[in-house]
Amino acid sequence: MITTLTWSDSWYLAPEIVLAAFTIALAVLDLALPRRVGRDVIGWGALVGLVLAGVFVCWHIHDLNVWKDAGKDAFRNVLGGSWRVDNFGNLLKLAFLGATALIVLASLGTVRDREVPIKGEFYYLILPAVIGAMAMSSSGDMLTMYVGMELLSITTYVLVAVRKKSGQSAEAAFKYVVTGGTASAFVLYGMSFLYGVTGTTHLASIGQALPGALADYRAMIYVAFFLMIVGFALKLALAPFHAWAPDVYQGAPTPVTAFLAVVAKGAAMAMVYRIFLNTAQFATGDDSQVRDDLFLALGVLAAAAMIVGIAGALKQQNAKRLLALSGVANAGILLVPLSLDLTNLHSSLFSEFVYYLAAYVLMNIGALAVLTLVSRSSGHEQLSAFAGLYHRAPWTAAAMTALLCSLAGLPITAGFYGKLYILFATVQTGEYWLAAILLGTTVVSYYVYFSFIRQMYMRGGENEPSVRMTIPTGVVIWVCAAGSVALGIFPKPVLDWVDGLFSLTTDFLAR
Amino acid sequence: MATVFSQYAWLVPAFPLAAFAVLTAMGRQQNRTGGWIATIASLASFVVALLILIERMSGNADDYNGSFDWLRVGGTQLTAGYEVTNLTSLMMAIVTFVSLLVNLYSIGYMKGDDRAAVFFAYVSLFVSSMLGLTLSDNLLIMYVCWELVGVCSFLLIGFWFQKPEARAAAKKAFIVTRIGDLGLLIAILLLFWYMPGHALDFSSLHNVFGTQSGLISTSLTTLIALLIFLGAAGKSGQFPLHVWLPDAMEGPTPISALIHAATMVAAGVFLVVRTFDIFAAAPAAMDTVAIVGAFTAIFAATIGLAQNDIKRVLAFSTVSQLGYMMLALGVGSTTAAMFHLFTHAFFKALLFLAAGSVIHAVHTQDIREMGGLGRRMKTTAWTFGIGALALSGIPPLSGFWSKDAILGAALDDRPWLFVVGAVAAFFTALYMARLFLLVFAGKPRGSAEAYAHAKESPAVMTVPLVVLAVLAVAAGFVMTPFQDWLGPWLSGGGEKEDANGVAIVVSIVVSLLGIGLGWLIYGGRGAVRPDVVSSRLPWLARLLERKYYVDELYDLLFVKSLGRLGQGLRFFDEVVVDGAVRLAGSAVSALGRANTRLQNGQVQTYGLVAIIAAVILVLAIAGRRFW
Repeated sequence: MITTLTWSDSWYLAPEIVLAAFTIALAVLDLALPRRVGRDVIGWGALVGLVLAGVFVCWHIHDLNVWKDAGKDAFRNVLGGSWRVDNFGNLLKLAFLGATALIVLASLGTVRDREVPIKGEFYYLILPAVIGAMAMSSSGDMLTMYVGMELLSITTYVLVAVRKKSGQSAEAAFKYVVTGGTASAFVLYGMSFLYGVTGTTHLASIGQALPGALADYRAMIYVAFFLMIVGFALKLALAPFHAWAPDVYQGAPTPVTAFLAVVAKGAAMAMVYRIFLNTAQFATGDDSQVRDDLFLALGVLAAAAMIVGIAGALKQQNAKRLLALSGVANAGILLVPLSLDLTNLHSSLFSEFVYYLAAYVLMNIGALAVLTLVSRSSGHEQLSAFAGLYHRAPWTAAAMTALLCSLAGLPITAGFYGKLYILFATVQTGEYWLAAILLGTTVVSYYVYFSFIRQMYMRGGENEPSVRMTIPTGVVIWVCAAGSVALGIFPKPVLDWVDGLFSLTTDFLAR
Repeated sequence: MATVFSQYAWLVPAFPLAAFAVLTAMGRQQNRTGGWIATIASLASFVVALLILIERMSGNADDYNGSFDWLRVGGTQLTAGYEVTNLTSLMMAIVTFVSLLVNLYSIGYMKGDDRAAVFFAYVSLFVSSMLGLTLSDNLLIMYVCWELVGVCSFLLIGFWFQKPEARAAAKKAFIVTRIGDLGLLIAILLLFWYMPGHALDFSSLHNVFGTQSGLISTSLTTLIALLIFLGAAGKSGQFPLHVWLPDAMEGPTPISALIHAATMVAAGVFLVVRTFDIFAAAPAAMDTVAIVGAFTAIFAATIGLAQNDIKRVLAFSTVSQLGYMMLALGVGSTTAAMFHLFTHAFFKALLFLAAGSVIHAVHTQDIREMGGLGRRMKTTAWTFGIGALALSGIPPLSGFWSKDAILGAALDDRPWLFVVGAVAAFFTALYMARLFLLVFAGKPRGSAEAYAHAKESPAVMTVPLVVLAVLAVAAGFVMTPFQDWLGPWLSGGGEKEDANGVAIVVSIVVSLLGIGLGWLIYGGRGAVRPDVVSSRLPWLARLLERKYYVDELYDLLFVKSLGRLGQGLRFFDEVVVDGAVRLAGSAVSALGRANTRLQNGQVQTYGLVAIIAAVILVLAIAGRRFW
């Protein structure tokens, strides 16, 4: 079924179109501007584009609400169902756009010409990466999704290498290309098996066809899904497929690290959620064996990621590698809601996922922004760069403390409630082993995150240079810290809002 | 009736909280201005609280409740909110007023202390939590604030942590009140479990217990009431949990006035008043409250006779007066209890602040080394005298009316409790006369040099004394047998105190007798020698001086035996628990090391690991189905 893009459809693609238009305009502007003009203007332009796209997404949410109130289905199929506008996608798009805007804003205060000679490209290449992330969360077809994933991957390969003269950056980019290519290959191979079994790439149709195909192609279906799981595990840096992440995160410029940790990971997570909820919920009853195995595999990977991520971070002395490993553990936590049995007891998986994703976005971007400032003043990225930060920059230390509390999951922060809700879900569905691992790793994580606090408050910082704060970075740090605390004090409005927007039947099961 | 100001009741605790935040953020640089920040914040709170009180007194204002959904756990909704009733508005006015004066006084008292800013930050946090406790509309939030005031009390008792006694006293206060808090916590959990809809707000409690709905059995109600009372007894220093309060006098004197006389220790009484419906539905619990209260009143009053530390005498007096309030509650008169709480807040804060003024001047707390100070410190002596007379129950000062209300209620309910109360009143008058005469009258007994240096405190300290003295005189007129509107206003109609001629006469007579005997013994005329008791019955004097050996008994019963149990547990902890922890720790670090070894920087290795892991994953999970 070939459907061409109509004029009215383009309204539903408005956020992506805006970003594409900005990318082109900014690229041209970068060419046209004389060399002596600072490239920060392109960064501000990218920021405007991100905000504008966010406005369109909000508009879509509003439209969907209007339809819902009118009794119609709150989603829209575009381009023959290969593109969907629904609230699952919209909320995640908002998260990605917000996260990217924060990252761009933070970079405006910290990225220096000496490190990144091609600053203009750095800013406008982030936009297509976001388009890719949005495509991954908003597609109804495996092919569109895959294209989105590659768009995101290839732009981020470039972004990792953007510190052109740094050997470390180049090495990181090379490793990222190789690993990313491997992951793509796994995913694509899995998808091709799925296509072979069902004869379609459309997710909803696959979901319909799979129960019937189960009898004849059991092994094929296993192979298809496990290949995809491995591919995604590589993308998400779930243990033991995570070894590339610390190397790449360390080599990349810090804003790009934040982008990889938050947006790229979130987008891959969105893709996993969409594929598994759409297609892998097949055949209950006696035939539920395959399905149970698939979700068990996800649970095992989540558990392994939590354990290995935190254990690896224990002895880590490099702050960026430490945060990379903490990201491994957090990816495991984000995967837990999906791996749980989708019964009527546990229909809140999406609000758990989005709430924790929001918490993760805030705490990770905030912590990396602080790290940027601190490492710039002391010239290295070791934990000891934080020594005596409380005495050098008390307010920044306070903000960092709030962010660390959220990372560690201490009350009253966003991280605490995020983990708490996921923990409730594991207990409700009877997955006590996951609950135990979640609790155990959380306890160990206190030690990890408190190594920052130990440095900031209990080590002298007399010989360390003072920290120079820039306004955009300061804004980002405080937005993240305040957001982490505010989400923790008022978790309910956010959860109610997400619950009110999202509906499992509309967003996944409606064709 | 419109509730204009009541809607803004949340501002009252917000001001001191803001002051706490500011003081904490600014750190120790603000030693000079910190006191003023705290004072201004409490002034703002007081103004709002006063406006609310006036609004509520001017008509039959509806109770105002502002709450929001805090969070959802499972299917249960937890709300947080505040409630303005006549009771809470009165309590709020007392707390803000006393804290305003204490803050002002502390500016003088804490001058030159290099942690003054920290002091004022703690005080502000305390005031904020105490107001939160007062305003909260449900037991859960109240419990949170209840613990917060406990923490502040701990911090402030141990404020001069260089002194080992202060450290020990802070620890003792925290641990002893904790026993009571545990009771309260269990009571809240029981209520949470058995209340319809897990409701913990006071209006639901009123609906369930106040209407005899029979939803909760009498035996369970009694258990809950007794557990709540255990919490109240811990905070309000009732026997047998009174031991922490006298030791708490190690803290700065303004703290003794604010926390350990006027506000926090009254929280126990306030808690019982707030949950009075539960008690009213459990007669056995009411008896317990009445008997414990009466016993504490007389027990502490006798100890007060033999103490030589000016603040400890006042502390035992506080314990004794709190016993009176509990007695009033036990005989069913919440109005008398709240009335006594109201007047006691003023005259006891006054006594403590005046005592602080004396200590400030002579740098000792031992009354045997004082004497004759009335000539050097006129304002302090006069105001202390007024406070002492009010406490002794001399008409027409405030303490007379409130104590009379309690004794009258006791006489109506159980006459033998009235007798106990009257005897305690006699002792009260006696020890106050002793205290006043030893400190302010007679000849100086301490070093001549100290006496020569003793001078009146600065105005910032004496002005609060005068203000409080005026109130100690006048506060009683809100409820006299001739003109009584407090009772109906507090309880919403119905309850009215009957004037009881017997109670009035007896209470005046015992007070005068007590003061008269005190004058004969300590008045310097030598009519009765001070050692009249100690020479004939040395064991009795010793018993009183050692506070009935309760501390020693606890030390023997609990501290020593628990210490031994602790040693046993420590052994278990070191060998078994620590062993397990070390094992877990080393397992995790071994995993971390293995992880690091894999992380050798070679992307080929990463790929190989991924492939091997993928094969294992597939074989382990999918493969088992095809075996």
